[in-house]
Amino acid sequence: MTLVMVVDDDQDLAEMLGIVLTGAGIDVDLVSRGDEVLDVFRNNPPDLVLLDVMLPGLDGIEVCKLIRAESMVPIIMLTAKGDTHDVVRGLEAGADDYMVKPFRHPSELIARIRTRLRRTNSDISGLLTIGDLAIDVQAHQVLRGTKQIQLTRLEFDLLVALAREPGRVFSRDALLSEVWGYRHSTDTRLVNVHVQRLRSKIEHDAEHPEIVITIRGVGYKAGVMGGS
Amino acid sequence: MNRLFFSLRNSLAVKVILSTVILSLGVVWVTGSALNSQLSSGIKKVNLDSALAEARSTIFTAEYRFLLAEGEPDSVVQKVVDDVISSATTLTSNENTREVVFARSPGNTREINYEIASNILDPSTISDSLSKQVRKNPDLIYQYTTMQYLQGIRVPGLAIGKKVQIPNAGQYEMYLVFSLVNQRATLDLVQSSLLIAGFVLVFLIALITWLVVRQVVKPVREAASIAAQFTEGDFRQRMQVHSQDEISTLGIAFNGMAESIEKQIARLENLSRVQQRFVSDVSHELRTPLTTLRMASEVINEAKDGFEPTVSRSAELLAAQLDRFERLLEDLLEISRFDAEVAVLEAVDFDIVLLAKRCAEDLSLVASQRKTVMYVKSSEPEIMVKADIRRVERILRNLLANAIDHAEEVQIDVQIEANEVDVAIGVRDYGVGLDETALIRVFDRFWRADPSRARTRGGTGLGLSIALEDARLHNGELEAWGRPGRGAHFVLTLPRKASESINARLIPLQPLDFKA
Repeated sequence: MTLVMVVDDDQDLAEMLGIVLTGAGIDVDLVSRGDEVLDVFRNNPPDLVLLDVMLPGLDGIEVCKLIRAESMVPIIMLTAKGDTHDVVRGLEAGADDYMVKPFRHPSELIARIRTRLRRTNSDISGLLTIGDLAIDVQAHQVLRGTKQIQLTRLEFDLLVALAREPGRVFSRDALLSEVWGYRHSTDTRLVNVHVQRLRSKIEHDAEHPEIVITIRGVGYKAGVMGGS
Repeated sequence: MNRLFFSLRNSLAVKVILSTVILSLGVVWVTGSALNSQLSSGIKKVNLDSALAEARSTIFTAEYRFLLAEGEPDSVVQKVVDDVISSATTLTSNENTREVVFARSPGNTREINYEIASNILDPSTISDSLSKQVRKNPDLIYQYTTMQYLQGIRVPGLAIGKKVQIPNAGQYEMYLVFSLVNQRATLDLVQSSLLIAGFVLVFLIALITWLVVRQVVKPVREAASIAAQFTEGDFRQRMQVHSQDEISTLGIAFNGMAESIEKQIARLENLSRVQQRFVSDVSHELRTPLTTLRMASEVINEAKDGFEPTVSRSAELLAAQLDRFERLLEDLLEISRFDAEVAVLEAVDFDIVLLAKRCAEDLSLVASQRKTVMYVKSSEPEIMVKADIRRVERILRNLLANAIDHAEEVQIDVQIEANEVDVAIGVRDYGVGLDETALIRVFDRFWRADPSRARTRGGTGLGLSIALEDARLHNGELEAWGRPGRGAHFVLTLPRKASESINARLIPLQPLDFKA
């Protein structure tokens, strides 16, 4: 069974989330304080974390950073604010996705969770290359030479999506549908922030990216390293 | 010239100095003239008196000598005449020349003639009018004249004449002509001194005025510049008060006003901040329970098939009203952001034609329920803009939903036009339309044209006001046109690059198909 850790200080909402997720066949671990998250997380590592921003004890953004420091588990932030500032802060702290309360439909939440949990690209076997990186899709590994680069699941999916079709220029909307599973969303910040995070891990110089290249006004494409 | 007029109109100092100079010029002119005429008449009088005294004694001496020569032979008389002339004539210096003229009175027909003028003085120096008077009067007669020498030199002079009897030669007129070169030079000196003194005085007055005006104008200018900074929103500016004169009274009054305004503004700002904060907090606090409610309602709604019909319908209503409640909450939150001026524009590049088509498509189901249909036409297949896509989409959805609400089962036309800098979208329906009062209030919050009219999407009554705010946030404009029974026309005009200004209305507000 899949285990999702729900971190929310509102008891009723947490319980309701529990009911909805359990109804969808997902096990739930409820945590109500920010400073308790890490202990529970270490004792019983979940497959995904649903994390509220406003938490007693420790701020959700801080919790997100702590989890990210030791795990690549998918994190979805629950934010009561639709304000840009909080969303971007959450994404920069390492969240893969976010949902603004109240959700349009609880089913949307479940869909997002499933997207983040699905084994993507299971149809691909063998190695993909992008720039000077080798991607072992089955083993979920990215190698530069013999050195392994740690990526979150989402960053990995993003990189694989680009590497699968080296010539193609992906629009931000296309990446949103491909990686995040949105049918149509207008929030391209998700893509921008995660491309930045991915670049900071894989590029030699994040200021002058050579692997994930920006095509101005259109989107991104996989770069071809000169000489390789 | 233009610059002078400009500074005349704009500078108090220039105005004051100029008028002071003009006035003092007048005063100096009048006093100078009076002084000049006093001085010159005084000088003239002194000179005249001394000349008359001199003339009297000289002529009396001459008369006396002529008397003594009575009965002497002509040669002696001639010598006396020569003596008289040489003693009466002085050539001390150029300026103090004194000449003597003997003229024979008309009617004197004696053979011998002593008519003579000293030093080649032209006898025409003595005017006829003077001669006549001299002949008539026994006393000394004087007249100002111009001394004319035969060489052509002319100098101002004073002629004094008297009848004299020369023995054996009858009646003559003896004239002494005094050169007034000296007096003229003195008068010229007085005049030029007065003129120079006058100009220096005027200049000094101008300088003093400038210094004085500067003292007054400087703090006034300072006050003006501080007031200007104040106007621009820098409420900390204060005037400096050094002394206790009227200017510093102005400064103190100004500072008092500034203080009071600053306090008022701070109070209002705080009040509005508190209020915005409160609205925003309320909205946020409502979200968590609303999320729980929504999920609960969804769970119930999914299981409604097993309920009694009334309970099942209740579950449906609950879900629908929660939807509506949530939209209202979102709109209120958005309005509170606009009111607090914290709404942020997140501009991205996108194709507005595609967006309009997508909005129409998303609403097509609702439209067909209301038996209407939307046609989107664009002058160009693709129009790229840089704008906040979320807000533009919201504007379009609001306009379309509004049109669907009022379409009365007639089609809705969406027209898109663009040039290099602007893009315009017109949403035209042919339904109930709007009357004049409605047109004024159509963008007002919670305003409904017809309270009995049902809203398709359970609209919040805030849609059009938010749309207007969204348009203005882009520096664009949203305008409404309508006639009762003839439909309505909403035109959105946006700069193609957000925040630049719009130059033209690409779609006329009164629709082309409308003929009054």
